[in-house]
Amino acid sequence: MEFLEFLVDRADDMLELGLEHAAVVGAAVLISTVIGVALGIATYRSERARETVLAITGSFLTIPSFALFILLLGPLGLGWRPVLLALVMYGLMPVVRNTITGLREVDPAVIESAKGMGLNRRQQLLRIELPLAWPVIITGVRVTTLVLLGIAAIGAIVNGPGYGELIFTGLARVGTPVAVNLVLAGAVGVMVLAVLFDLVFYAVQRITTPRGIR
Amino acid sequence: MSISTSERRRDADVVTQTPVSAGRRRGWQGYLVMPAILALILLALYLWVSSMELDSIEARSLNAQSLLTALGEHIVLAAVSTVVTLVIAVPLGVLLTRPFTQRVRPFIIGVLTLGQAVPTIAILVLLAVAFLFLGFQAAIVGLVLYAIIPVLLNTMVGLEQVDENVLEAGRGMGMSKGRVLTRLELPLAVPVMLAGVRTALVINVGTATLVTYINAGGLGDIIVAGLSTNRVVVQIVGAVLTAVLALFIDYLAGIAEDFLRPKGL
Repeated sequence: MEFLEFLVDRADDMLELGLEHAAVVGAAVLISTVIGVALGIATYRSERARETVLAITGSFLTIPSFALFILLLGPLGLGWRPVLLALVMYGLMPVVRNTITGLREVDPAVIESAKGMGLNRRQQLLRIELPLAWPVIITGVRVTTLVLLGIAAIGAIVNGPGYGELIFTGLARVGTPVAVNLVLAGAVGVMVLAVLFDLVFYAVQRITTPRGIR
Repeated sequence: MSISTSERRRDADVVTQTPVSAGRRRGWQGYLVMPAILALILLALYLWVSSMELDSIEARSLNAQSLLTALGEHIVLAAVSTVVTLVIAVPLGVLLTRPFTQRVRPFIIGVLTLGQAVPTIAILVLLAVAFLFLGFQAAIVGLVLYAIIPVLLNTMVGLEQVDENVLEAGRGMGMSKGRVLTRLELPLAVPVMLAGVRTALVINVGTATLVTYINAGGLGDIIVAGLSTNRVVVQIVGAVLTAVLALFIDYLAGIAEDFLRPKGL
């Protein structure tokens, strides 16, 4: 129960770090969703374009986060900037992939009837295809957010914001009684954020999915 | 669309960390793009470093001997942890997709999905600070704990995607449960499981960068040496080598995936 006392003692810290952590992950998810959906829309009709964009965004995801933070440190300096950019890069592939999957799964018959009703290309995309693909896209975004929450903790290496700071402070004090509490507090903080984000996404998913396909 | 198919599709969407594999077989030129890019990156790195005057600290970190040691340790860490991950995760995945788990399966998948948010670095550091467990074995435990979730998800989703009608046909032919599993389900799930192997490798190569913090070596040593002595060249060499290694291993795993996929799938 010593750990609970520790959490209560540091409640202010926990809240502040939590807000920072949520802010950087939230911003990254938002940016990679906008870019990712746009890339998906631009490429889903051509096999070549599709494969190229998936190969490139996929290779971002392959680069280990520690290495990517360090490589971005040169051009962007210490702090939240390298963390934000790295998280956006990691978030792209799942969003692009799910956008492409979702758009390609739309029943051709539905698109045909949209054409028959006289909708132009833009209207087809905005009123028919994207709403139908939306559940798949938002699932991708939701799971990506969870993965990004974990990666953001490593951002503390480049003085990034969030709970990673507690974990690395704990590491620096290995052997002292407070070390375990610090690391646990960091991990628990990330898990709490994961549950909260997941609940928010559940709500967003319910609200933004058209009633007919819920 | 029935409820079960839409559920299944959503399960497949939860496996975000799976690398993309080319849908069709690449021509031989397709196989040359990645090695060519990586070779150019390494060449550029070599030329850049050799054009600089290295001070004694930099020279100590950046010689062939220490780089090769770190690289060797890194590859061993990734290989051992991947094998252990697969040995645990694949049978567990098979077990968790048997009919008796049907009720709890959505719950299990939900928990595993949330579990992907646990920061790797927290697992590794916790082993060190809570149990004073350091070094190679601790690193393997940490790597396996983290990589097990995506591989398990992959195996479960892969097995669930196998068409129920095919299994029904097998049972109709008089196959026993065991034979349905080994002759139909597992072979049909091979592509997804290969993707799981690749996922495990990529994740473990990445996470192995962090085990330097629990004294288990690897290329992370180079980066951390650069950070602690404030030598940018050393940091960049470490980071670029790590990235190139990860991309190259993913490339090799992608080739293996193309060739090991059963014909006809």
